[in-house]
Amino acid sequence: MEGLKKVNVQVCLGTTCFVMGSSNLQELIDTVPKRYGDDVEVSGVPCLGLCSIDWKFSKAPYVKVNDEVIKEATIDKVLKMIERKLAE
Amino acid sequence: MFIDIDCRQEKKYNQNAYGDYFISRRYPAEGRLIAVLSDGLGSGIKANILSCMTAVMLLRFIEDDIKIKEAAEIIMNSLPVCRVRNISYSTFSAIDANEEGLVKIVEEGNPEFVWIRGMDVLKPEYTVIDSVTFKNRHMKVYKIDPKIGDRLIFCSDGITQSGLGGGILKLGLRRDGLIEIIKSKLRDDISVSSYELAKYILTQAKLAEPDRKPKDDMSACVLYFRDPRKALVFTGPPYRQETDGEYAAIFKNFKGKRAICGGTTANILSRELGIPVKTGRLISIDALPACSYMEGVDLVTEGILTLTRVLEYLESGIPDSDNAAAKLANFLLESDVIDFMIGAKLNQAHYDPTLPVEIEIRKNVVKKIAVILEKKYFKKANLQYM
Repeated sequence: MEGLKKVNVQVCLGTTCFVMGSSNLQELIDTVPKRYGDDVEVSGVPCLGLCSIDWKFSKAPYVKVNDEVIKEATIDKVLKMIERKLAE
Repeated sequence: MFIDIDCRQEKKYNQNAYGDYFISRRYPAEGRLIAVLSDGLGSGIKANILSCMTAVMLLRFIEDDIKIKEAAEIIMNSLPVCRVRNISYSTFSAIDANEEGLVKIVEEGNPEFVWIRGMDVLKPEYTVIDSVTFKNRHMKVYKIDPKIGDRLIFCSDGITQSGLGGGILKLGLRRDGLIEIIKSKLRDDISVSSYELAKYILTQAKLAEPDRKPKDDMSACVLYFRDPRKALVFTGPPYRQETDGEYAAIFKNFKGKRAICGGTTANILSRELGIPVKTGRLISIDALPACSYMEGVDLVTEGILTLTRVLEYLESGIPDSDNAAAKLANFLLESDVIDFMIGAKLNQAHYDPTLPVEIEIRKNVVKKIAVILEKKYFKKANLQYM
């Protein structure tokens, strides 16, 4: 059934991601539920733990959409990924 | 035993300087606390100078274990003489307490202190020392041993004489009125803090005055002997991952309030203890990551940015804000003994020179926080690295 397919968006609020721009992603939490209703759930997470693995080529801020990681995340990139996931 | 001390004061209504002076200092290494409350002759600047000199000198003399009789003589001979009354005068209550529960008190001219246990007022014994040079000066010397839960309340005569000559209380509040005020607050909350009780006494004394204008300087100082409030701040991942479980167990079994500072740290404790981390609807408050939540944990914040801001707040004052650093700073100040467990593992990504802000090393920030907690806020801070 279409309605059961849920997209889960996690915004990393760890130190590196926060200073690299996840602090500007509040709009996602505010607008996404209005736009997509219950199909998409957006939340902050304390840390996705990605910058410490990938530190030599850090691409923070990181956002995870289902299992897919968005590097150097912006609102645009996240919205595009949400659309893609909904279309899958 | 921890001694919770606070003093609240009010100026005489038409003055712009406090005529009473209160000073206290803690000596954590010796578990000692010295405090002095002095009331200077008259009011305003003149009284302020007299009481300030008395209190500060007395504190230094007690610090150096100089005999109180000699100290009082030196002070009385040092004070400037009032041009109008041709005398120099200030009263004082000096308190020298240790955490083992031994308290020495010397009073000269101030109202007798109130020693209250539960709802009972105790009557301590004292000896009297007469001044050699000033015939009408007598000091009362007490040696008492308060138990956990006891309170000692000191005040200037502005409190006990509030309402004198006008209003409902023709003879003023007096000692009985003061005791009644204390008891009424204790009936409400037997574990009320010294800050709250001192504030309450002052408010009630002001209410006893006609037009609520204090006719004299007012001070209420409260000492509350109680078990220390303990807190634990767990910040940073342990250096060796295989010890995560061991440290998580210490966190779990800690008796007191607990805070976690750090996203990775929260994830580790969440994994080890099986408690999910939840976040709210806000990403950021005042340019800091918003708090997360874990059941049974009092506070969960981001790590270094928040700790750095906490240090700023402890240095220059905590704003009235809901941000994570203000919450953590208040969490620290609401505790008496704070254990910091500091993970030594560094996240290399924090030291990438292209980051827009400079990120401090966790260990250094926490050390600075511990120093300021001890020096400025008289807390006990213990650091443990893991």
